[in-house]
Amino acid sequence: MKVSLFITCLGDVFYPGVGKDVVEILERQGCEVEFPDAQTCCGQPAYNSGYHKEAKKAAKHMIKTFDSAEYVVAPSGSCAAMFREYEHLLEDDPAWKERARELREKTYEFTQFLVRVLKVESTGAVLHANATYHSSCHMSRLLRETEAPFRLLSNVEGLTLHELPNKNDCCGFGGTFAVKMGAISEQMVEEKVEHVEETGAEILIGADSGCLMNIGGRLQRGGKPVKIMHIAQVLNSRE
Amino acid sequence: MPMKIGERSFDNRVKQGIDNTFMRDAVSSAQARFQSNKAKAEEQLGHWEEWRELSEEIRAHTLENLDFYLEQLSENVTKNGGHVFFASTGEEANDYVKKIAQEKKAKKVIKAKSMVTEEISMNEAFESVGCEVIESDLGEYILQLDDHDPPSHIVTPALHKNKEQIRETFANLKGYEKTSKPEELAQFAREQLREEFLTADIGVTGCNFAVAESGSVALVTNEGNARLSTTIPKTHIAVMGMERIVPTWEELEVLVTMLCRSAVGQKLTSYVTGLSGPREEGDLDGPEEFHLVIVDNGRSNILGTAFQSALHCIRCAACINVCPVYRHVGGHSYGSIYPGPIGAVLTPLLEGYDDHKDLPYASSLCAACTDACPVKIPLHELLIEHRKVITEQEKMTTLSERFAMKGFGMLASSPALFHMAEQAAPAMMSPFTKNGKIESGPGPLKDWTNVRDFPVPEKESFRKWFQNRGKEES
Amino acid sequence: MAKGTVQNQDAFLQNIADKLGRERRSEGVKRPQYKHSPQHDILRGATIKEMVEVLKEQCLAIHTDVKESSKADLENVLEEVMKEYGADKAVAWDDPRFTEYGLESFLQRPNMTIWGSGPDEDNIRITEQAEAGITFADYTLAESGTVVLMNGGGRGQSVSLLPTYYIAIIPYSTIVPRITQAAGEIHRRVEKGERIPSCINFISGPSNSADIEMNLVVGVHGPVRACYILVDDM
Repeated sequence: MKVSLFITCLGDVFYPGVGKDVVEILERQGCEVEFPDAQTCCGQPAYNSGYHKEAKKAAKHMIKTFDSAEYVVAPSGSCAAMFREYEHLLEDDPAWKERARELREKTYEFTQFLVRVLKVESTGAVLHANATYHSSCHMSRLLRETEAPFRLLSNVEGLTLHELPNKNDCCGFGGTFAVKMGAISEQMVEEKVEHVEETGAEILIGADSGCLMNIGGRLQRGGKPVKIMHIAQVLNSRE
Repeated sequence: MPMKIGERSFDNRVKQGIDNTFMRDAVSSAQARFQSNKAKAEEQLGHWEEWRELSEEIRAHTLENLDFYLEQLSENVTKNGGHVFFASTGEEANDYVKKIAQEKKAKKVIKAKSMVTEEISMNEAFESVGCEVIESDLGEYILQLDDHDPPSHIVTPALHKNKEQIRETFANLKGYEKTSKPEELAQFAREQLREEFLTADIGVTGCNFAVAESGSVALVTNEGNARLSTTIPKTHIAVMGMERIVPTWEELEVLVTMLCRSAVGQKLTSYVTGLSGPREEGDLDGPEEFHLVIVDNGRSNILGTAFQSALHCIRCAACINVCPVYRHVGGHSYGSIYPGPIGAVLTPLLEGYDDHKDLPYASSLCAACTDACPVKIPLHELLIEHRKVITEQEKMTTLSERFAMKGFGMLASSPALFHMAEQAAPAMMSPFTKNGKIESGPGPLKDWTNVRDFPVPEKESFRKWFQNRGKEES
Repeated sequence: MAKGTVQNQDAFLQNIADKLGRERRSEGVKRPQYKHSPQHDILRGATIKEMVEVLKEQCLAIHTDVKESSKADLENVLEEVMKEYGADKAVAWDDPRFTEYGLESFLQRPNMTIWGSGPDEDNIRITEQAEAGITFADYTLAESGTVVLMNGGGRGQSVSLLPTYYIAIIPYSTIVPRITQAAGEIHRRVEKGERIPSCINFISGPSNSADIEMNLVVGVHGPVRACYILVDDM
């Protein structure tokens, strides 16, 4: 099975290790992983800010880039959800809308792809730790994927998963929201950090680098001894 | 009270909200209770998604045929002996009710909670012709006594107040002598208001739903004040936003089911009252005269636009009750009597962007509101739609943002430029990097690092790694 | 009843049609065949006994007292409730069902007023001073613990509203699964061209409020306590 990896901006620049784990896991499952080099950004920063002309440019470029892909897999619920938004964005242009539909149908978030397409329940990972999991909003509410991460994590040997209180609450990232509405975002991420601490976990796992960057940055600022890990890193652990 | 509340800037209001720890505790625990009540009610009902789809379908059909159903409603209200006034603006509505008050030589108006009358400042209109206006909903009564403090929630308007503050208000203004126990406070309000009900000349209510087929107005309440306002005074004036209508009683019961469960988690509220015109021959209570005021006040401008579904709203506040932004900043931060996600969508539509252009940005787009809405209004998408209008039509964003976004568009559609920017990132960020983190970033990053650390770009991007890996293998 | 007046209708509705981008619609609109109808599935096929159980359970949630009685014993049960509430002055609907259920002598007890029996203006004052208001239910909704009252004439809407306590007599035969059935019946009456009562109440227990710090207070402007007396009339 051929998988085209959409690495996402944050994954490319800040968390390249996550991408490596994704590649290794997928290859171990027998996938042939390719990386379309022309890929840029899904366009969400522009789309969410109301700059839809610019977002359309990004969308069309990404549609072209992944045109020949069999499956598109992204280690981010939010960026994968943005691919699915293209149809709506390109509504006025039937030809592009159709291509956007094709892209939507073959796009998956990483854990979703493992569980729904590859029918994988365990990646054979081992990680001896107490952890908690942050369900990102776009993954659960826009992609409607609420199970896949938990199914995979439940089969990680040695991992004890503590439920995060108010787990459905947003962490306050929201892309440009985090800087545009800094005061409000601060309250939200602080509340999230408090909840993470309540669990007593030493690791906070997430499937979206944006949320992890936000919560992790706040944890670090407060000198909290909680480490952040992308779920791909956990699923590729061997310790 | 007009729709817009206060003159302070959005940032100031937010700051004041965040600093108000009592309010935030109250809102936070109220949200938790609202959420768990609603979740329980959804579960008990079963097939919640089917109910939502049915409700959405009802609302969409009604709005698509609004002129038809309003005409039917009007015809049936008059058949029942009631009077109908179509008001294009709040001013027209207020002039009409003032005329009624003057004709009746009314001295006292008793009101049940109604958001649309708040929106158009109807109380002030009555007061301008010498009427005393008394709010009878417990929450509204408290706010009215407390120097017209604005509501902060559309279902429980005094959510931001604690019982001690309420006791003080009652003691200072009404000679209340008991404790701050909610039961005693409510009992006091009951005693104070009973006599007012018995002596009021006009009762004013809102309208949760009008029923076109029978010319009825349905009121969904718990306290009994709306029933008192429509049982004793000789004149009843119901004021409705023009979109608050259903075709028949069959649709009414579906939406009432959804409203009660979504708003307060009740199967039905204590009172659901269907009123069809004034009292009939032989009746000894109920109003002798009934007026229905149907208010547009900017709503029709929403029809036929991308925002039409905002008019599907049944004012249950479910979106408000799940919103994390609302939880931290409180209702007053929105600067409108309509707070929370629906307020952020509706307020700029009804009042324009000039005073409210920050509202659509006061959301992380987490979509909790969209998920909570019983009539499936895509609230977070409508917030994005607002941002689009602000950006592309109103051109109200800053030059630097427009410039940055233009640049983004270029980068995102040009792989070569994009890769260059990616490659430049580590070098660009290195002056700000200390101990493997960025605690104080430049430009817009500063807003990020004010609150939390920013990660350092890795020396080798994933892209580079993947390319090199390919080379090694071959 | 003389027909009421309408003002500003045409311009208002024309504007709506314009905004919707089409001609004005005055006729020919049919309600759609809705994709789902989950409301009809609740308690579908439930027996009266099953619905009574659902109703009783729901009454716990809505802070409503429940008594059960046979037709023959109804007067005693009513007296018992009055005693329990410490109620003396009472107002009842002028409703032939009181006689059908053998309550003539109950209606003649001291301090009992029948709605509409005195001068017009006094009715509200008397009812407001009464401790108990007593009515029959016209429909009873099992799911929500609701009595539906079709007011009018001798059946004053004040009776279930102004006294401190409200007592509803619920014949089993009035019980339906939920609001769907009652609303459906009202809809059918409207379709047949019947005039429905100018005030229809759906009452689920005593009045209440959570406006003060989200604390539930039972008993605000309406009755502070409510009792349903279920009567097996089948």
